Amino acid sequence: MTMLGDRQQLAYIAAQAADARVNVELETEGMTLNIGPQHPATHGTLRIIARLDGEQVVWAEPSAGYMHRGYEKLTEVRTYPQVTALVNRIDWLGSFANEVPFILAAEKLMGVEAPARAQHIRTILFELSRIANVSLFLGDLGVQLGAVTPVFFAFRDREYVLNLIEAATGGRFHPNFDRIGGLKDDLPAGFIDETRMVMKKLRTFCDQIEDLLFGNEIFQSRTRGIGVIPKDVALQYGLSGANLRASGVDWDLRRDQELPMAWNKADWKVWTHPDGDSFARCWVRLQEVRESTKIVDQLLDTIPSGPVMAKVPKIIKVPEGEAWVSTENPLGEMGYYVVSQGDQGPFRVKIRSASFNNISIVPWLLKGVYVPDIITILASLYFILGDIDR
Amino acid sequence: MWSMVSRLKREVFPLSSTDTTTEAPRDERRDAEMARITGALGAAVLDSLVKANDDMWIRVSADAWRTTGETLKSLGYSYFCFLSGIDWLPSPFGKGEEDPTEPTPERDSTIKQGYTGGATRFQVIARVMQPFTSLGVNIKVDIDDSMAIDSWCSVYAGANWHERETHEMFGIGFNGHPDLRNMYLPSDFEGFPLRKDFPLLARIVKPWPGIVDVEPLPGDDEQEGEAS
Amino acid sequence: MGLVDRGRLPKPLTSLFNLGRSYSLWVYQWGLACCAIEMGAAFGSPRYDVMRLGVIPLPASPRQADLVVISGTVTDKMAPAIKRLYEQMPEPKYVISMGSCANCGGPYWDSYSVTKGVDQIIPVDVYVPGCPPRPEALLEGIVLLQQRIKNEDMGARWRGEGTKPMNVVDGESAEKGGVPVVVN
Ligand code: SF4
Repeated sequence: MTMLGDRQQLAYIAAQAADARVNVELETEGMTLNIGPQHPATHGTLRIIARLDGEQVVWAEPSAGYMHRGYEKLTEVRTYPQVTALVNRIDWLGSFANEVPFILAAEKLMGVEAPARAQHIRTILFELSRIANVSLFLGDLGVQLGAVTPVFFAFRDREYVLNLIEAATGGRFHPNFDRIGGLKDDLPAGFIDETRMVMKKLRTFCDQIEDLLFGNEIFQSRTRGIGVIPKDVALQYGLSGANLRASGVDWDLRRDQELPMAWNKADWKVWTHPDGDSFARCWVRLQEVRESTKIVDQLLDTIPSGPVMAKVPKIIKVPEGEAWVSTENPLGEMGYYVVSQGDQGPFRVKIRSASFNNISIVPWLLKGVYVPDIITILASLYFILGDIDR
Repeated sequence: MWSMVSRLKREVFPLSSTDTTTEAPRDERRDAEMARITGALGAAVLDSLVKANDDMWIRVSADAWRTTGETLKSLGYSYFCFLSGIDWLPSPFGKGEEDPTEPTPERDSTIKQGYTGGATRFQVIARVMQPFTSLGVNIKVDIDDSMAIDSWCSVYAGANWHERETHEMFGIGFNGHPDLRNMYLPSDFEGFPLRKDFPLLARIVKPWPGIVDVEPLPGDDEQEGEAS
Repeated sequence: MGLVDRGRLPKPLTSLFNLGRSYSLWVYQWGLACCAIEMGAAFGSPRYDVMRLGVIPLPASPRQADLVVISGTVTDKMAPAIKRLYEQMPEPKYVISMGSCANCGGPYWDSYSVTKGVDQIIPVDVYVPGCPPRPEALLEGIVLLQQRIKNEDMGARWRGEGTKPMNVVDGESAEKGGVPVVVN
């Protein structure tokens, strides 16, 4: 049985009653609304085709594929180190986080484990890319609801994080920094102090966003009780990340899974929200940024010394086998199913990206909502086109 | 502190899993789980594999595909992770690194399946997970020449898009799927891109010179010359 | 303006017009992939502040834009939409192709679904290389475009002559004495 909170239930019933009344009073002709593929309110080029009855959506269907770049085919003609450069670009806002599960899968097949220092630094960079990713979401959220100010805050504070990533990896966006067996390089001098300062700024940013946006009455009334996803539906559709946790499922792959990463060395909390509505999803993400800053702060204190690269052969050949590794990426569960046949390159890589599953719920979720809510719901589900289409 | 030391010790790790000769470690949690699954599925399971501290694989017969999904769901595997296909034919184009002016080299085209074996060129693979415990199971199924299998849409609603994708990429049909339209490619696109015999034309026209890339690793002071 | 239509315009008037045009570029942001975020950073963030260059990144539709920045991967499915967008823009119109993907296919040069360069569909004025280019590189691309506009003969533009692309590569513009390739 689906568990809905009292408030939700009331909202549901009220909305349904209102709908029934409207439907009886006004019989309207259907109309098809086409949003996208290029629309200022969507990130990237998702196209939504919605069939409307008055202001209400009867049927909606996202039409993806405008950004399909054929990653899975391309991985078959690349070597393992080349694939990392490719998979960077799947979720382009949190690039470093995309490399990690792939590298971990290859390492698992090879039986190599990165040295402790590399694991630590990986985790730090992973969390930094989460912050870079989700902070832009928090800014963008405002834009989609008509509040333009937060995005300037987001772009400003995100630059600090990008600078850190650039200092460590040499790339603002697509670092391609992970290697099988460790990392390309050690951290630069001064990185630790700088990061601590930036984390402080980011926490202020979170407070500001909370004040500006989450406390805003308009924002609340446009997101609370809108687009409710019950727990079991979320699981069935394979929703992951903050979308799942906002439906009250206390499951975080960083905490609940054994991986050679350093998350378990820090003390942090997995936030959930019982409501499952748009507000809950945004709120959980905000808390996640806060937790990430905390994780980074703690890990900075405990970076072990040692090399950042294990001994691996120069030309990497991965022994035969199959491996699945997934991590909790900024958007949700990102995993790679790597099939190797003892070659320099993978035989087949199935990329399980979070947004693909997260968006596949849209036809179900948009049924019966009002037109202005389409944008709120899509914004709160938070997808990145490259992550849907791959 | 001690964990740190032990981790550093582990740094000298065998380079490949084939080097190890020690007997396989046991993983009670997954073994018990696998016993539960095979018990519930009965004869439908053709083969199964548990890798300790890693993952579980089963291969089921094609007619039991939908019941497998239902059974797994009732066993607590309520989280749908992904569904996709694998084409086990070795690519007739290799990695696309040959010079097109040369005659094509001979290639071994024997099909060798991965974990839990198989009998056909195409397989569908799906993964479902138990939330909270993070235990997951990979389910494989052989696709025979009819190139079709039951749809999982009624079991896991999320399978809908994954099956559309698999249909588009491999040409595998799903009986009972509401709508197997193309998702990514224009509707007039010909061929199934993820089949191994689908050529990447750009590579055939112009081979890529960079197939072997060796990057000097940090702390690696040898001369570059030998790296080729 | 009848004068421009007929392709004849007195020199001083041309430079006056060109000056005006180059510093009031309304740019339509056609963000497609990762590069779109860097474009957003260049156009939307206070740090790079594109408006100081006389570029207004606000038009709501391509019908009001002078310049379009195609940033990101162009797929075969997207290509018709890009062509249509270009046709909707009023003359004189300019195109900046941002990122390796839009220039030539970039990391997806061998993919089955990616168009190998937006210049196969529409003419491009300035190519900004990089994957992704830094926002500064995009700004330089805009400066290059402005220099081109300043040196342009509006009549020739009107007749659709002379669109040779330019490149933002270090020193490329400096090598020609700080002035980009002047067409015609
Ligand atoms: S050029 Fe690079 S960063 Fe830009 S869209 Fe292409 S892959 Fe992304």
